[in-house]
Amino acid sequence: MFKGNPLRRRQYIGSLIGIAIGVICYIILPMKSAEDFLSLGPMNTGHQDLSCVACHTPAKGNLFQQIQANVAKTFGARKSGVDFGTENVDTKKCLECHDRPNDRHPTHRFLEAKYQDAIAKIDATQCETCHTEHNDTRVVLPDATFCVNCHYDLEVVNDPIDVPHSKLIAKKQWSTCLQCHDFHGNHIYKTATKIKDTISLSKIDAYLKGGKDPFSDKKKYLPLSEEEWQKVKKKYKK
Amino acid sequence: MRKLTITLSKIAVSSFVAIIGLNSCGNAIPEEGAESSVSDKAFSVEEVLEMVAVENDITRTLYTKGIVGAGKKQGLKFDEDWQDDEVEAGPLPALFLRGISSDIRKSSVPLGLYLGSDYPINASNKLEGKQAALFAKIKANQKPQFFYDEAQKVHTAMFADMAMAAPCVNCHNDHKNSPKTDWKLGDVMGATTWQYPSDSLSYKEAVGVLNAYRNGTKAVYNAYLKEIADFKTSPKPTIGKTWPSKGFNLPTAEVFIDSVRKLTSYKSLEVLVKKGAAVTSN
Repeated sequence: MFKGNPLRRRQYIGSLIGIAIGVICYIILPMKSAEDFLSLGPMNTGHQDLSCVACHTPAKGNLFQQIQANVAKTFGARKSGVDFGTENVDTKKCLECHDRPNDRHPTHRFLEAKYQDAIAKIDATQCETCHTEHNDTRVVLPDATFCVNCHYDLEVVNDPIDVPHSKLIAKKQWSTCLQCHDFHGNHIYKTATKIKDTISLSKIDAYLKGGKDPFSDKKKYLPLSEEEWQKVKKKYKK
Repeated sequence: MRKLTITLSKIAVSSFVAIIGLNSCGNAIPEEGAESSVSDKAFSVEEVLEMVAVENDITRTLYTKGIVGAGKKQGLKFDEDWQDDEVEAGPLPALFLRGISSDIRKSSVPLGLYLGSDYPINASNKLEGKQAALFAKIKANQKPQFFYDEAQKVHTAMFADMAMAAPCVNCHNDHKNSPKTDWKLGDVMGATTWQYPSDSLSYKEAVGVLNAYRNGTKAVYNAYLKEIADFKTSPKPTIGKTWPSKGFNLPTAEVFIDSVRKLTSYKSLEVLVKKGAAVTSN
């Protein structure tokens, strides 16, 4: 069969091996058990049981349509490109499960012009600024002093705490904020009025790194589970 | 040289085949916002934001007078922490607006809405920078101010938020955390700031803006009714067709929204028909 040219034999075997590897990848990689292998890193707190497709949903159109749209964009035939393979995992996607009417710091709040300087330092318009996924943690920021970016000139009228906010701010003790204040405001708990009764900094640090919740085990709203989210998605699918 | 020419020819032919192939692989993925051509853009962003700002003024005045003002006289409570678990109250007008703003952000309409003042009860609502400078002009002449926010790439409009009803003045003057306690009816108490990304809108987009605002109103009012349903210790008003002015009642969401529609539709329709006529007659 390959008598004429031995190179053909090598090409033939190489092609077969390539096809075999392709078929194996095509079969094995989409399997649930391969998710850990494909993942960029361990999931953050609370997301451990999610499957990849909960966030990495298929992008619009088929593969060729996606290539077509992006080539068209490259040559100026359309203004915007499209997601390739899977949709971009952005804030809008996070909010499909995590949106709550009582969020004290909703991401859209920071789109107002006055927060321009603050979001240049910490982009609070995006969930992933603090909660970058695949890091086996809760908050990826190195410390919890981010409140300073907006509240640097805070003045509290009728201050209820024994060590006044003005004193804490004067001493630049920005790491103390979270000892009383739950950033997103969803926990059901009583705020301390004496510094000695506040949550210790070590517990806050452990919580931010993915540890036990020191505020309360009661929350006003719970995020959608993957099953609930699938049901909602199915219901409103056009 | 000949080899190079052949290679280039091959690349050109391959590219041509690839482009033909790509173009014949099914319908293209529609481009977001590309459904309306430039000629369909009947409204300037300023016109649409003025129209929705008028809707907002009317809606908030109705809520403030008809629900908060009359409701307080009947014993209903309203609080800035109305969504806290231990608080059994409804949203104050500023929080009502913030709820509408949040609901709009959930929709596909890229409309931003904020409320600010130079003397806000909550410090986070204090106007700063460019907004504060423009607010000084608004206070002087009560005329809307428009600017393009380079950082966010959005067209921005600011409108006076007037003390239209007695409850606005009374609550702000009596609130323990209020930095100003001599408000009077007719004062410019603050400003609403609105954002939209494009400089002009089609008829469909303009209606979409109005719908997003109205849906937001309905969502927040429904959230208030749900809070009432969950009251554990406070008395629950009768929810039906009657308003607090007639007793310990609250209108249903449908009755409230219907009243909003009746009060706002004339003005909004005038704008839509006047500007939309040219497009729809084409």
